[in-house]
Amino acid sequence: MNAVNNGEEAVRFLRQEGAYVHAPKPELIVLDLNLPRVDGRQVLSELKADPDLSKIPVVIFTTSQANDDITRCYELGANCYLIKPGNLRDFVAVVQSMADFWLGFASLPH
Amino acid sequence: MITTEHDKEASQATTTPVPTGGSPRVDLLPNKPASDNGESVRKLRVLFVEDNALDVELEVRALRSGGFDSIFDTVQTADEFIAQIRKNTYDVILADYSLPSWNGMATVEVLRKEGLNTPVLVVSGFLGELKAVECIKQGAADYVLKDHLPRLPESVRRALREKKLQDEHRQDQEELARSNRDLEQFAYVASHDLQEPLRMVAMYTQLFAERYQGRLDENAEKYIHYIVEGALRMQTLVRDLLAFSRVGRQGAPLESVDCNAVVAIALQNLQAAIQDSGARIEYSQLPTLIADSSQLTQLFQNLIGNAIKFRGAEPPQIRVTAEKRDRDWLFSVLDNGIGIAPQHAELVFVIFKRLHTQAEYPGSGIGLAICKKIVEQRGGRIWVESEPGRGSAFKFTLPAKEGRIAYDHGEQK
Repeated sequence: MNAVNNGEEAVRFLRQEGAYVHAPKPELIVLDLNLPRVDGRQVLSELKADPDLSKIPVVIFTTSQANDDITRCYELGANCYLIKPGNLRDFVAVVQSMADFWLGFASLPH
Repeated sequence: MITTEHDKEASQATTTPVPTGGSPRVDLLPNKPASDNGESVRKLRVLFVEDNALDVELEVRALRSGGFDSIFDTVQTADEFIAQIRKNTYDVILADYSLPSWNGMATVEVLRKEGLNTPVLVVSGFLGELKAVECIKQGAADYVLKDHLPRLPESVRRALREKKLQDEHRQDQEELARSNRDLEQFAYVASHDLQEPLRMVAMYTQLFAERYQGRLDENAEKYIHYIVEGALRMQTLVRDLLAFSRVGRQGAPLESVDCNAVVAIALQNLQAAIQDSGARIEYSQLPTLIADSSQLTQLFQNLIGNAIKFRGAEPPQIRVTAEKRDRDWLFSVLDNGIGIAPQHAELVFVIFKRLHTQAEYPGSGIGLAICKKIVEQRGGRIWVESEPGRGSAFKFTLPAKEGRIAYDHGEQK
């Protein structure tokens, strides 16, 4: 598992640019929306417009419950939208089921 | 009171023969005070759409004797007209109905396209009633016969007064819309930005409590409990504030909504509370309205949910009724709950105002505030009639825009 903490880094990581030349290509992207610099919506639209990256499933994982955000993300090609619960137990449960589904049951492109 | 800006450029001009299109503006009687009503000097900026120079002269004289000192230009064709209104600002347009190459009434259309609402007065020879009415319908401020030019100043005065009122009204509307937008945007952004840090506080405190379980004394565990509870409660408040700010922000299209179906959905959403409390809810013959269905669902859900929550010793008995009145529908949600003292009847609709502690009845005090916002946004009113211990009647009105259709539908049920 790799983590970057802003949208700019995310795009560079995925495009293996600069310091990320040897970065692995992920099987699943978990993306927050409200990120510093380039925000998640922008990252999502860049990923889905890039033929090399568009097939990697993107799970949006964010505190935003706004219908606008949910609709927009699916329009941009998000594969799943999950709201971060405020409660530790619920949070762990959501992350666990995300991992179970996407890394366990779902068939992903290679 | 009508005042117009003094035009410096024009006051330097001299009196010349009546100009035609594109000629410099002419100030007929510079600095002559308005005579008849003691108003300060004003120069009326007039654009004549007129092919007859003599008529222009006569109209200028009529205006002058009515107290209007004017600066004017004259045009005859559409092209000249457009060029002129783009170049200068006019208080009023005096247009002849029939010109050799153009129709004076077309000015209204051109002005509209240019985004101007300068009043147009049709000044013409005899047109007949039909054409005169047609002019007014198309947006002319008035119609003055060339034989009755003494009437012109009063007609101009009225047109200017109306335009001023229109402008003020529009300004107020724009200002209001802008400030509402700002407020909604603020609540929306603040809520989102507040969510994340709160989530961190709640979650990491919980994680801390879990990881250090058994290594903390009793007090520490108690404090942690308070922190988590406070943070979670704050999260609820922020989420509710967000929900409140969203009412009206997402402009869902208005559609024909069957209130019976809407109440059925609300009851489905309240299923757990209904089962736990043994509530019985009756409703029938509710109308079909033009509304936002998700907002109506929320409205009924909040009111019925409250009726269940604030129940007395008996299981809740709730009745939803609707009564057609003159121009609207009066809805009532009646319950046999604990009731509300009359002095609190207004307070319960204020955001985050509550009459009970969390321990007595949980909640953040948002439900009725949202109800009020939904109802008022549709031009209705909401209030409560109640006595402590004797149940409550929450009543609200919603406009019956499609009154007849709505009523027919209600009758069929």
